[in-house]
Amino acid sequence: MIVPKNSYRLQDRNLNFEVADDFDFNNSSTCYYLRGGNGFGKTSFLEKIVIPALKVANRQYLYIGQDIRTQLYTLRALLSMQGHKISDTDEYELLKIWVHQGQTARTFIMDEFDKYFPDYHFIFDWSRSFIQNYIIVTHQHLQPARTGAEGLEATHVIFELIGFDGQFKNVRVRKESYDNVKV
Amino acid sequence: MTMLKFSVVLALIGLFFWLFVFGPFYANPSIQLAVFLFIMGWHLVRFSLRETISVLKFCLPFVLSLFVFGLIFHFMRLFGRSDWLQDTLIKCLVFPSSLVFLKVMLATITYLDILNLPISMQKRIGLITMKSAFQKGESMMRRFSWYLGTYSGLQSSGRIRTVLRKYACLIIALYLYLYEEIENSNRLLQNRYQHLYR
Repeated sequence: MIVPKNSYRLQDRNLNFEVADDFDFNNSSTCYYLRGGNGFGKTSFLEKIVIPALKVANRQYLYIGQDIRTQLYTLRALLSMQGHKISDTDEYELLKIWVHQGQTARTFIMDEFDKYFPDYHFIFDWSRSFIQNYIIVTHQHLQPARTGAEGLEATHVIFELIGFDGQFKNVRVRKESYDNVKV
Repeated sequence: MTMLKFSVVLALIGLFFWLFVFGPFYANPSIQLAVFLFIMGWHLVRFSLRETISVLKFCLPFVLSLFVFGLIFHFMRLFGRSDWLQDTLIKCLVFPSSLVFLKVMLATITYLDILNLPISMQKRIGLITMKSAFQKGESMMRRFSWYLGTYSGLQSSGRIRTVLRKYACLIIALYLYLYEEIENSNRLLQNRYQHLYR
C-alpha cells in the first residue's frame, strides 16, 4: 500500500487533501489518470505525497515534471556526467536515453506531459517492458488508444474542490469510473 | 542619485573584501565567525530562512572540499606549514560570508537603477540580462535540486558519493541554464529594444 485513504495537509501549499480511496501503486499494469481544475493540487499531490511514499517504499520511479524545460537541464547534466554526448541531442533523444537507463523503475509519472508531446505513445514504447504502472496528470480527453496505454487498466482519479476557507483549499481525491469521467 | 547608490554599493563591497578577505582581519577566526553570523543574519532578515538555508546548502560542497583538502595538507605538513587547519577554517567562513555579502549588496541594485545608469543601452541590456539570469538562477537551483533527488541514476553505494554526484550535476545544470538563459534573454531584450524603443 502506498497512499492510504486519509486526510493530508500540505501547509506550505495551502492544501488539504481528503483522499477518499486507497491508492495501491504496487498494482501491476495500471494507468492512473489524474484530472482536476488548475490549482487543485495535482502536482503537489504527486510531489509531496506520492513521490515521498514511493521513496519510503523503495520503489524506483521515473518522473517527468510539468516544467519539463527546467528538468531538461538536469537531465543534460545527469547524462553528460554518465558519459553520454548530449551537446547536439534534442529533447526526444534525451528522454529516450534517460528512460532506457531507468530500467529498474516500476512506476512512471508524467505531469501534463501531453502539453509538450500531445502524442506521447513513444513513452510507452520505450518503457512498457519494465514499467508496471503509470501515473499521468492530464487535462486532455481520454484517448488511451492513441497514448499506447491500451494494454493497461485505466484508473481515473478526480481532484475536486470541496471547500475554501480563504487560505486553505480542501480537495477531495477519489477514483472515478470510466463512464462518469467527463471528457 | 543612482550613481551615488552604485558608488556606495561598490565602495562597501571593496571595503568588505579589503578588511575581511585580503586585509587586516582575514587571519582572525573570531572576527570571521562574527562576520559570518552577522551576514547570515542579515540575509535571513533581507530574504527568508528558506533562502538562507538554500544558499548555505549551495556553499556546503565547496566548503567541505576546502576543509578536506586543508585537512590533508595539514597532516602532510605541506610546504612545511603547520597552520593549514586554521587557515582552512578561516577560508570555510570567508567563502560563504563573501558570497552572501555580494549577493545581499547586489540585490539592492534594481532594474530601474540599471536603466538610470549613464551608460549605453547595449551595456544596460547586458547588466539587466545578468541580473535577471542570476536572480532566477537561485530559484531554479532549488527546482534542479528537487529533480536531481528523483533520479535513481545518481544513487551510488556511499551517501557522500551520492551527494557529491548530485552537487556536480547541480552545478552543470546551473551552468547550462545560465548560459542558455543569458543568451535567450539577451536576444529577447535586443529584439524588444530594436523594435519598440523608438
